[in-house]
Amino acid sequence: MTALLLTLLLGMQDGLSDADCRKLHDSLKPPAAELWRNIPWKVSLLEAQNLAAKEKKALFIWSMDGNPLGCG
Amino acid sequence: MSLAIDQWYTRRQKDAEGDFYRKIVLQSPQNNVNATTQGLFLATPDGKLLGFTNNRSPEWVRAMLKKGLTGFTPGEAELLTNPKPDPNFTYRLPEGGLILTATSKVLKGYEKPASLEAGFFQNSLGRDVLWVRKDEHQALVRGDVMKSFQKRMAKFNLIDNTRGEPHPWQDAEVKQVEMTIKDGVLTGTAHLETANGDRGYKAELRGYVEVRDGKLTKFNLVSRGEAWGYSGCTEAAHPKDKFMLAVAFRIAPGTDEADKVMPQGAKSWFPDYMR
Repeated sequence: MTALLLTLLLGMQDGLSDADCRKLHDSLKPPAAELWRNIPWKVSLLEAQNLAAKEKKALFIWSMDGNPLGCG
Repeated sequence: MSLAIDQWYTRRQKDAEGDFYRKIVLQSPQNNVNATTQGLFLATPDGKLLGFTNNRSPEWVRAMLKKGLTGFTPGEAELLTNPKPDPNFTYRLPEGGLILTATSKVLKGYEKPASLEAGFFQNSLGRDVLWVRKDEHQALVRGDVMKSFQKRMAKFNLIDNTRGEPHPWQDAEVKQVEMTIKDGVLTGTAHLETANGDRGYKAELRGYVEVRDGKLTKFNLVSRGEAWGYSGCTEAAHPKDKFMLAVAFRIAPGTDEADKVMPQGAKSWFPDYMR
Protein backbone atom coordinates (compact mmCIF):
# COMPACT_ATOMS: atom_id res chain seq x y z
CA MET A 1 0.00 0.00 0.00
CA THR A 2 2.84 2.40 0.88
CA ALA A 3 4.54 1.67 -2.45
CA LEU A 4 1.28 2.34 -4.30
CA LEU A 5 0.78 5.66 -2.51
CA LEU A 6 4.35 6.66 -3.23
CA THR A 7 3.92 5.81 -6.90
CA LEU A 8 0.72 7.86 -7.06
CA LEU A 9 2.35 10.82 -5.35
CA LEU A 10 5.38 10.70 -7.60
CA GLY A 11 3.10 10.42 -10.59
CA MET A 12 1.22 13.51 -9.49
CA GLN A 13 4.48 15.41 -9.11
CA ASP A 14 5.43 14.44 -12.66
CA GLY A 15 2.12 15.66 -14.06
CA LEU A 16 1.71 18.92 -15.94
CA SER A 17 0.43 21.48 -13.47
CA ASP A 18 -1.12 24.73 -14.60
CA ALA A 19 2.07 26.61 -13.74
CA ASP A 20 4.30 24.00 -15.46
CA CYS A 21 2.19 24.16 -18.56
CA ARG A 22 2.28 27.95 -18.89
CA LYS A 23 6.00 28.13 -18.13
CA LEU A 24 6.85 25.35 -20.58
CA HIS A 25 4.65 26.84 -23.29
CA ASP A 26 6.41 30.20 -22.95
CA SER A 27 9.83 28.55 -23.02
CA LEU A 28 9.07 26.82 -26.32
CA LYS A 29 8.25 30.04 -28.13
CA PRO A 30 10.94 30.80 -30.73
CA PRO A 31 13.20 33.61 -29.48
CA ALA A 32 12.31 36.97 -30.97
CA ALA A 33 15.88 37.94 -31.75
CA GLU A 34 17.44 35.00 -33.54
CA LEU A 35 20.15 36.26 -35.89
CA TRP A 36 19.19 33.95 -38.77
CA ARG A 37 15.56 35.08 -38.56
CA ASN A 38 16.60 38.72 -38.91
CA ILE A 39 17.12 37.96 -42.59
CA PRO A 40 13.80 38.73 -44.34
CA TRP A 41 13.34 35.23 -45.76
CA LYS A 42 10.61 34.51 -48.29
CA VAL A 43 9.23 30.99 -48.69
CA SER A 44 7.62 31.51 -52.10
CA LEU A 45 10.01 31.29 -55.04
CA LEU A 46 7.55 33.21 -57.19
CA GLU A 47 7.29 36.07 -54.71
CA ALA A 48 11.05 36.20 -54.11
CA GLN A 49 11.83 36.21 -57.86
CA ASN A 50 9.29 38.96 -58.47
CA LEU A 51 10.72 41.11 -55.68
CA ALA A 52 14.29 40.47 -56.84
CA ALA A 53 13.35 41.49 -60.39
CA LYS A 54 11.54 44.63 -59.27
CA GLU A 55 14.31 45.69 -56.91
CA LYS A 56 17.08 44.58 -59.29
CA LYS A 57 18.63 42.34 -56.64
CA ALA A 58 20.23 38.93 -56.79
CA LEU A 59 18.33 35.92 -55.48
CA PHE A 60 19.86 33.95 -52.60
CA ILE A 61 18.26 30.53 -52.23
CA TRP A 62 18.61 28.35 -49.12
CA SER A 63 17.37 25.05 -50.46
CA MET A 64 17.08 22.14 -48.04
CA ASP A 65 15.36 18.84 -47.38
CA GLY A 66 12.63 20.25 -45.18
CA ASN A 67 12.00 23.98 -45.18
CA PRO A 68 14.64 25.78 -43.11
CA LEU A 69 11.90 27.92 -41.54
CA GLY A 70 9.58 25.11 -40.70
CA CYS A 71 10.95 21.64 -40.33
CA GLY A 72 13.41 20.32 -37.86
CA MET B 1 16.44 38.73 -51.93
CA SER B 2 16.54 35.70 -49.62
CA LEU B 3 14.47 32.60 -50.18
CA ALA B 4 14.16 29.51 -47.97
CA ILE B 5 12.60 26.44 -49.59
CA ASP B 6 12.12 22.72 -49.21
CA GLN B 7 13.70 21.51 -52.44
CA TRP B 8 11.83 18.19 -52.18
CA TYR B 9 8.79 20.08 -53.52
CA THR B 10 10.36 22.64 -55.83
CA ARG B 11 12.53 20.31 -57.88
CA ARG B 12 9.46 18.12 -58.53
CA GLN B 13 7.01 20.90 -59.44
CA LYS B 14 5.76 20.57 -63.01
CA ASP B 15 5.05 24.27 -63.43
CA ALA B 16 6.82 27.55 -64.14
CA GLU B 17 8.18 27.82 -60.61
CA GLY B 18 9.71 24.34 -60.81
CA ASP B 19 11.16 25.11 -64.26
CA PHE B 20 12.81 28.26 -62.91
CA TYR B 21 14.33 26.39 -59.95
CA ARG B 22 15.62 23.55 -62.14
CA LYS B 23 17.14 26.09 -64.55
CA ILE B 24 19.25 27.45 -61.68
CA VAL B 25 20.31 24.16 -60.11
CA LEU B 26 21.23 22.57 -63.44
CA GLN B 27 23.99 25.18 -63.76
CA SER B 28 25.45 24.12 -60.40
CA PRO B 29 27.36 21.04 -59.21
CA GLN B 30 24.07 19.97 -57.57
CA ASN B 31 22.63 19.24 -61.00
CA ASN B 32 20.77 15.96 -60.60
CA VAL B 33 17.14 16.96 -60.14
CA ASN B 34 16.17 13.33 -59.50
CA ALA B 35 17.99 13.47 -56.17
CA THR B 36 18.34 16.08 -53.49
CA THR B 37 19.44 19.48 -54.77
CA GLN B 38 19.97 21.01 -51.37
CA GLY B 39 22.49 23.80 -51.05
CA LEU B 40 22.90 27.55 -51.14
CA PHE B 41 22.47 29.18 -54.52
CA LEU B 42 22.97 32.74 -55.74
CA ALA B 43 21.29 33.69 -59.00
CA THR B 44 20.15 36.64 -61.06
CA PRO B 45 16.38 37.27 -61.17
CA ASP B 46 16.33 35.74 -64.66
CA GLY B 47 17.90 32.53 -63.41
CA LYS B 48 21.60 32.77 -64.19
CA LEU B 49 23.65 31.04 -61.51
CA LEU B 50 26.13 33.35 -59.79
CA GLY B 51 27.34 31.09 -57.03
CA PHE B 52 26.78 27.85 -55.11
CA THR B 53 27.96 26.11 -51.96
CA ASN B 54 26.60 23.24 -49.94
CA ASN B 55 28.67 24.24 -46.94
CA ARG B 56 26.67 26.16 -44.36
CA SER B 57 29.58 27.62 -42.40
CA PRO B 58 29.39 31.43 -42.32
CA GLU B 59 32.84 31.73 -43.88
CA TRP B 60 31.95 29.57 -46.88
CA VAL B 61 28.61 31.28 -47.43
CA ARG B 62 30.10 34.75 -47.11
CA ALA B 63 32.86 33.88 -49.60
CA MET B 64 30.34 32.43 -52.07
CA LEU B 65 28.13 35.52 -51.85
CA LYS B 66 31.06 37.91 -52.16
CA LYS B 67 32.45 36.12 -55.21
CA GLY B 68 29.05 35.67 -56.83
CA LEU B 69 27.98 39.26 -56.39
CA THR B 70 31.10 40.55 -58.17
CA GLY B 71 29.61 39.02 -61.32
CA PHE B 72 26.16 40.53 -60.80
CA THR B 73 25.06 43.54 -62.80
CA PRO B 74 21.59 44.74 -61.78
CA GLY B 75 19.35 44.88 -64.80
CA GLU B 76 15.86 44.31 -66.11
CA ALA B 77 14.32 40.86 -65.62
CA GLU B 78 10.88 39.50 -66.42
CA LEU B 79 8.55 38.78 -63.54
CA LEU B 80 7.99 35.05 -63.20
CA THR B 81 4.36 33.97 -63.38
CA ASN B 82 2.94 30.60 -62.43
CA PRO B 83 -0.59 30.41 -63.89
CA LYS B 84 -0.99 26.68 -63.22
CA PRO B 85 0.74 25.73 -59.95
CA ASP B 86 1.34 21.99 -59.72
CA PRO B 87 -1.30 20.85 -57.18
CA ASN B 88 0.76 17.78 -56.32
CA PHE B 89 3.47 19.93 -54.76
CA THR B 90 1.81 23.24 -53.90
CA TYR B 91 -0.67 22.62 -51.12
CA ARG B 92 -3.22 25.15 -49.90
CA LEU B 93 -4.85 25.37 -46.48
CA PRO B 94 -8.49 24.34 -46.93
CA GLU B 95 -10.95 27.23 -46.72
CA GLY B 96 -12.02 27.95 -43.17
CA GLY B 97 -9.04 26.05 -41.81
CA LEU B 98 -6.57 27.13 -39.19
CA ILE B 99 -2.79 27.00 -38.88
CA LEU B 100 -1.15 26.08 -35.60
CA THR B 101 2.57 26.33 -35.06
CA ALA B 102 4.34 23.43 -33.34
CA THR B 103 7.69 23.84 -31.62
CA SER B 104 9.54 20.98 -29.97
CA LYS B 105 12.49 20.62 -27.66
CA VAL B 106 14.38 17.88 -25.87
CA LEU B 107 14.21 19.05 -22.25
CA LYS B 108 16.61 16.54 -20.75
CA GLY B 109 18.33 13.25 -21.50
CA TYR B 110 21.38 14.29 -23.48
CA GLU B 111 24.91 13.42 -22.53
CA LYS B 112 27.62 16.09 -22.67
CA PRO B 113 27.87 17.15 -26.34
CA ALA B 114 30.79 15.58 -28.20
CA SER B 115 31.13 18.48 -30.63
CA LEU B 116 30.04 22.05 -31.21
CA GLU B 117 27.45 20.83 -33.74
CA ALA B 118 26.07 18.29 -31.26
CA GLY B 119 25.66 21.15 -28.80
CA PHE B 120 23.62 23.07 -31.36
CA PHE B 121 21.39 20.04 -31.88
CA GLN B 122 20.90 19.60 -28.14
CA ASN B 123 19.63 23.15 -27.77
CA SER B 124 17.66 23.38 -30.98
CA LEU B 125 13.97 24.05 -31.29
CA GLY B 126 12.06 21.90 -33.78
CA ARG B 127 9.56 23.87 -35.85
CA ASP B 128 6.59 22.82 -37.90
CA VAL B 129 2.95 23.70 -38.47
CA LEU B 130 -0.28 21.77 -38.04
CA TRP B 131 -3.08 22.46 -40.49
CA VAL B 132 -6.61 22.21 -39.10
CA ARG B 133 -9.68 21.58 -41.25
CA LYS B 134 -12.75 23.84 -41.10
CA ASP B 135 -14.89 21.19 -39.38
CA GLU B 136 -12.14 20.51 -36.85
CA HIS B 137 -11.75 24.25 -36.26
CA GLN B 138 -15.49 24.60 -35.70
CA ALA B 139 -15.45 21.63 -33.33
CA LEU B 140 -12.73 23.27 -31.24
CA VAL B 141 -14.89 26.39 -31.05
CA ARG B 142 -17.68 24.19 -29.63
CA GLY B 143 -15.27 22.60 -27.17
CA ASP B 144 -14.89 19.30 -29.04
CA VAL B 145 -11.62 17.79 -30.23
CA MET B 146 -12.25 15.72 -33.33
CA LYS B 147 -10.48 12.38 -33.59
CA SER B 148 -9.06 13.30 -37.01
CA PHE B 149 -7.40 16.37 -35.47
CA GLN B 150 -6.02 14.37 -32.55
CA LYS B 151 -4.62 11.75 -34.87
CA ARG B 152 -2.99 14.28 -37.23
CA MET B 153 -1.37 16.05 -34.32
CA ALA B 154 -0.14 12.78 -32.84
CA LYS B 155 1.19 11.32 -36.09
CA PHE B 156 3.00 14.37 -37.37
CA ASN B 157 3.70 16.72 -34.47
CA LEU B 158 4.15 14.67 -31.29
CA ILE B 159 7.57 13.82 -32.56
CA ASP B 160 11.23 14.70 -32.08
CA ASN B 161 12.13 16.92 -35.04
CA THR B 162 14.82 18.87 -33.22
CA ARG B 163 17.71 17.47 -35.27
CA GLY B 164 16.11 17.26 -38.72
CA GLU B 165 13.31 15.50 -40.54
CA PRO B 166 11.91 12.49 -38.61
CA HIS B 167 9.68 9.76 -39.99
CA PRO B 168 6.07 10.48 -39.05
CA TRP B 169 4.29 7.92 -36.91
CA GLN B 170 2.33 5.33 -38.86
CA ASP B 171 -1.36 4.75 -38.07
CA ALA B 172 -0.57 1.52 -36.22
CA GLU B 173 2.03 3.32 -34.12
CA VAL B 174 -0.58 5.64 -32.63
CA LYS B 175 -1.31 3.36 -29.70
CA GLN B 176 -3.52 5.85 -27.92
CA VAL B 177 -4.43 9.52 -28.12
CA GLU B 178 -7.15 11.25 -26.16
CA MET B 179 -7.93 14.94 -25.78
CA THR B 180 -10.89 16.65 -24.16
CA ILE B 181 -11.79 20.25 -23.42
CA LYS B 182 -13.58 21.27 -20.26
CA ASP B 183 -14.09 24.90 -19.20
CA GLY B 184 -11.46 26.04 -21.67
CA VAL B 185 -8.80 23.62 -20.43
CA LEU B 186 -7.60 20.94 -22.82
CA THR B 187 -6.17 17.82 -21.23
CA GLY B 188 -5.07 14.58 -22.75
CA THR B 189 -2.59 11.77 -23.16
CA ALA B 190 -0.80 10.17 -26.07
CA HIS B 191 1.19 6.99 -26.59
CA LEU B 192 3.12 6.48 -29.80
CA GLU B 193 5.36 3.50 -30.35
CA THR B 194 6.82 1.44 -33.17
CA ALA B 195 5.99 -2.26 -33.42
CA ASN B 196 9.42 -3.33 -32.23
CA GLY B 197 9.50 -0.66 -29.55
CA ASP B 198 12.68 1.01 -30.77
CA ARG B 199 11.03 4.45 -30.87
CA GLY B 200 8.25 5.88 -28.76
CA TYR B 201 6.71 8.80 -26.92
CA LYS B 202 4.36 8.74 -23.96
CA ALA B 203 3.05 12.19 -23.20
CA GLU B 204 0.65 14.18 -21.14
CA LEU B 205 -1.07 17.15 -22.78
CA ARG B 206 -2.44 20.27 -21.20
CA GLY B 207 -3.48 23.59 -22.65
CA TYR B 208 -5.90 26.46 -22.83
CA VAL B 209 -8.47 27.25 -25.45
CA GLU B 210 -10.31 30.56 -25.81
CA VAL B 211 -13.14 31.47 -28.14
CA ARG B 212 -14.45 34.92 -28.96
CA ASP B 213 -17.29 35.76 -31.33
CA GLY B 214 -17.35 32.20 -32.65
CA LYS B 215 -13.64 32.13 -33.42
CA LEU B 216 -10.77 30.36 -31.76
CA THR B 217 -8.55 33.10 -30.32
CA LYS B 218 -6.22 30.99 -28.23
CA PHE B 219 -4.91 27.45 -28.53
CA ASN B 220 -1.95 27.16 -26.20
CA LEU B 221 -1.17 23.49 -25.76
CA VAL B 222 1.84 21.63 -24.38
CA SER B 223 2.74 17.99 -24.68
CA ARG B 224 5.41 16.65 -22.36
CA GLY B 225 6.64 13.16 -21.76
CA GLU B 226 9.23 10.46 -22.08
CA ALA B 227 10.54 9.63 -25.54
CA TRP B 228 13.09 7.22 -26.91
CA GLY B 229 14.71 6.31 -30.22
CA TYR B 230 15.18 8.24 -33.43
CA SER B 231 14.23 8.09 -37.11
CA GLY B 232 15.12 9.57 -40.47
CA CYS B 233 17.50 12.49 -40.20
CA THR B 234 17.24 12.70 -36.41
CA GLU B 235 19.86 10.00 -35.83
CA ALA B 236 22.73 12.50 -35.66
CA ALA B 237 23.74 13.17 -32.06
CA HIS B 238 20.54 11.60 -30.74
CA PRO B 239 20.07 11.00 -26.99
CA LYS B 240 21.43 7.59 -26.06
CA ASP B 241 18.72 6.71 -23.57
CA LYS B 242 15.21 7.88 -22.82
CA PHE B 243 14.70 11.63 -22.94
CA MET B 244 12.10 14.22 -22.04
CA LEU B 245 10.43 15.73 -25.10
CA ALA B 246 8.05 18.67 -25.13
CA VAL B 247 5.97 20.08 -27.98
CA ALA B 248 4.07 23.37 -27.81
CA PHE B 249 1.22 24.48 -30.07
CA ARG B 250 -0.20 27.95 -30.63
CA ILE B 251 -2.28 29.71 -33.27
CA ALA B 252 -0.01 30.96 -36.04
CA PRO B 253 -0.04 34.76 -35.93
CA GLY B 254 -0.12 34.94 -39.72
CA THR B 255 2.50 37.67 -39.65
CA ASP B 256 5.51 35.38 -39.75
CA GLU B 257 6.80 34.10 -43.11
CA ALA B 258 7.27 30.72 -41.42
CA ASP B 259 3.48 30.49 -41.00
CA LYS B 260 3.27 29.92 -44.77
CA VAL B 261 5.43 26.80 -44.77
CA MET B 262 3.54 23.64 -45.69
CA PRO B 263 3.26 21.00 -42.93
CA GLN B 264 6.09 18.51 -42.91
CA GLY B 265 3.54 15.73 -42.48
CA ALA B 266 1.81 16.66 -45.74
CA LYS B 267 4.89 15.75 -47.74
CA SER B 268 4.21 12.87 -50.09
CA TRP B 269 0.43 12.73 -49.88
CA PHE B 270 -1.57 15.81 -48.93
CA PRO B 271 -5.07 14.23 -49.02
CA ASP B 272 -3.90 11.60 -46.55
CA TYR B 273 -2.53 14.33 -44.28
CA MET B 274 -5.83 16.23 -44.13
CA ARG B 275 -7.96 13.10 -43.72
